[in-house]
Amino acid sequence: MSLMGTRSPALKEKNTKAELKRQRVLLIIAALFVVYGIVFYYLPLFGWIMAFQNYKIKDGIFGSEFVGLRWFKFLFSDQTFIRVIRNTLCMGVINLVATTITAIGFAILLNEVRNTFGKKLVQTISYLPHFLSWIVVTGIVHDALSINGVVNELFVNLHIFDEPVSFFSHKEYFWPIVALSNVWKETGWNAIIYLATITSIDPALYEAAAMDGAGRWQKIKHITLPGLRSTIIILLIMNIGNVINAGFEVQYLLTNGFIKPVSETIDIYVLTYGVGKMNYSLGTAAGIFKTFVSLVLIVLFNFIAKKTGDERLF
Amino acid sequence: MKSKKIFALTMACMMGLGAFAGCAKKKDEILNWNFFAAMHGSEINDGNEIQELIAKDTGIRVKETWLAGQTSAEAIGSIVASGELPEFIDGGDGSEELYKAGYLVAWDDYLAKPEFANLKEMYSDKEWEMFKHEGHIYWANVFQNSYQGKPVSHGFNDEAFWIQVRVLEWANYPTIDTLDDYFKLLEDYYAENKTNADGTKIIPYTCLCEDWRYFCIENAPQFLDGYPNDGSVIVNLDDPNNPKIVDYNTTPTAKRYFAKLNEVYKKGMMDPEFAIQTYDEYMAKLSTGAVLGMCDQWWDFAGTVNDNFKANKLDEKGYNYVPLGPTIDKGMTNRWYIGATDTLNSASGIAVTTSCKDPDKAFKFLNRMLDQDMHNLRFWGIEGTDYLVDENGIFYRTQEMRDKWADSNYTKSHCCMYAYFPQYGGMSRDGKNTMQPGDSTSEFFAGMADPLVKCFKAYGYDSYNQFLRSTDGIVGIWYPMYQFSNNLKTDTDAGVAWTKMGETKHTWLPQIVVADDFESAWNEYMAAYADCKPEEFLKYMQDTLDNLIKS
Repeated sequence: MSLMGTRSPALKEKNTKAELKRQRVLLIIAALFVVYGIVFYYLPLFGWIMAFQNYKIKDGIFGSEFVGLRWFKFLFSDQTFIRVIRNTLCMGVINLVATTITAIGFAILLNEVRNTFGKKLVQTISYLPHFLSWIVVTGIVHDALSINGVVNELFVNLHIFDEPVSFFSHKEYFWPIVALSNVWKETGWNAIIYLATITSIDPALYEAAAMDGAGRWQKIKHITLPGLRSTIIILLIMNIGNVINAGFEVQYLLTNGFIKPVSETIDIYVLTYGVGKMNYSLGTAAGIFKTFVSLVLIVLFNFIAKKTGDERLF
Repeated sequence: MKSKKIFALTMACMMGLGAFAGCAKKKDEILNWNFFAAMHGSEINDGNEIQELIAKDTGIRVKETWLAGQTSAEAIGSIVASGELPEFIDGGDGSEELYKAGYLVAWDDYLAKPEFANLKEMYSDKEWEMFKHEGHIYWANVFQNSYQGKPVSHGFNDEAFWIQVRVLEWANYPTIDTLDDYFKLLEDYYAENKTNADGTKIIPYTCLCEDWRYFCIENAPQFLDGYPNDGSVIVNLDDPNNPKIVDYNTTPTAKRYFAKLNEVYKKGMMDPEFAIQTYDEYMAKLSTGAVLGMCDQWWDFAGTVNDNFKANKLDEKGYNYVPLGPTIDKGMTNRWYIGATDTLNSASGIAVTTSCKDPDKAFKFLNRMLDQDMHNLRFWGIEGTDYLVDENGIFYRTQEMRDKWADSNYTKSHCCMYAYFPQYGGMSRDGKNTMQPGDSTSEFFAGMADPLVKCFKAYGYDSYNQFLRSTDGIVGIWYPMYQFSNNLKTDTDAGVAWTKMGETKHTWLPQIVVADDFESAWNEYMAAYADCKPEEFLKYMQDTLDNLIKS
């Protein structure tokens, strides 16, 4: 401490220079990423100006009429947009909760399997759906849940249903369907990171617990779950910003006139107005709003995490 | 040694020549151009026989691509945003946007030149005027346009309540006047026939609601009130000098029509999946012959469905559809069929884009499409293979040829209609044959299965349009009004209202059909509809109509 304090400014500068020279390769590499970030994340933000214009392709970004907050006013007086925000947030939260819980549960269950071959087999099979694209998954979901689909056939033959149910004609089934599709597709994949964390828990803890007479359930409750705590928090913070990205493909591909009021998300709204109706300004305004909500959510959750004294992102 | 050198020199020369030859050959090579239609269609195979013949003739091979998965608005929107255009395009409802973005080549200079006489001939000067934007023409609609304006049609290309001929036969060919009659007939038939011979369950009535095709559920009220298909509004002519725009969505007839659908649904006669089916599923359903009736446009279903019937010999079971033109009450006249006139839809059509490097060649290609020999090749096929000519010069097909043209495998590898490129209906230039095989009287009846022929005979009709029993009468110069609403975008109040009305109807119409309590659902729908400010839209349409009449 005392040495540091007596350093002259000149020496400090020299040191910094030497440090810079020593790390120049690292700095060059880092610079590349900074440039990448500027080009691909910050420069496009310039396009946000469209949200405040009545943008026309022919007039371009410099020639279009400036209209101030007209499109934002339009958005918040539009019942559809309000509904779309609700849908996005609700589906986002349901998906987040469902996928997180199932992934943790699955990881713990898998960890309890002693047979290595069986464990590996289940793990491999369970994460394969992650690699299917949504178009394939929605195709499967759509067919399975149609009136003549497997699900109806099974339930009717088991006499659980009296007659086939048209799942996509009921608004109340849509959110669960989306959540289940997400769970089916992502559980195995999401479980990987939890499994890795579990393996890093000191085995001595389990041994000690066993000595004290803890059963399986108690070991899970008192060792595994607390061991996972910090990972869960970090992943939650990272994913909370994604709540607003509740999805595009699933909702877009599975929708129909009946369930549109509950299925439309912000992304679909941006597509229909921004691209479909070529109102780029309105699309941009909706996009800005989405980014804003995302930012608020992350900062808020990070703040809560900080307050409760846990891991945090920044 | 010397000989070797000479040999090498010769070789070098030859290679040089070869290279030159290569260059020369390249100049003659066939250009591969693209066409995109903001419609659904099926791609033909590479190396399609007639396509190759056309390519050799014109030097251009056009690859046609269609909507895949996305809606037409999204497709055109992304093309406009990216600026990546095919050489030819039919932008559908997005045509106006393509023009506004400055992506289309004006036709005027070409139409003025004698070598593009075929294109010029497509429309009268007055009709071309309708296509003009700021004084220039950017596209030409290729449909519903008969050669020299004289349609000859046994067909009926438009909207109707369709019914399978077996149902009519079963009821001994009754007269259907009203919507109630129509559903009564379906109900009676269904009461006695629950399944088809092959065991599939009969669906008495279905109704497509997907994307823009929701007109199948949406626009019947205008017809039921006796008006023609203005598409987005009714033009009321009670005072002939002062036509008035009326919203058909809120009329008492609309309410009665949806109440009827609601009743049909509650009776279990409506396809339970009607609101959630995709177009493909709908077509598959119709193609099995399980659906007794629906409201649709002929062009939306008949091509595929009739080909499927033919290929699987289902037409012999009386599954083919004939159109009916019911009204809401008895004793009304109807305008489901507006007579043998062409409908000019100036809102969309084939266009050449600024991405085309040689517009002159593009217009020559379009012009060539209308030459009689080329037109015959596109729609009739190759003489000797696809059709024969009798001693009087009349084209005809053998049954084998007809079957082949109903087989999609054959048509994909052999036929190339370029259907979205300039074409004609009506009589061909020789005055004997029709431009399109489907319009030829002999071909029309020769291609029909027995039950269908029997049905025509029982009613004493010789064309589909007679089934509608519509009143003749001239439609106004504004007809169809939808050409003024289809291009509306959200940058005006009328456009916002139009968009929201569409969204509201899309969401609500299926809901009121399945509602337990129709009355309260209808009131809720009407409240939601009023929130869209339809008056803004109707005012715009009224102004447009008034201006049109003035000019």
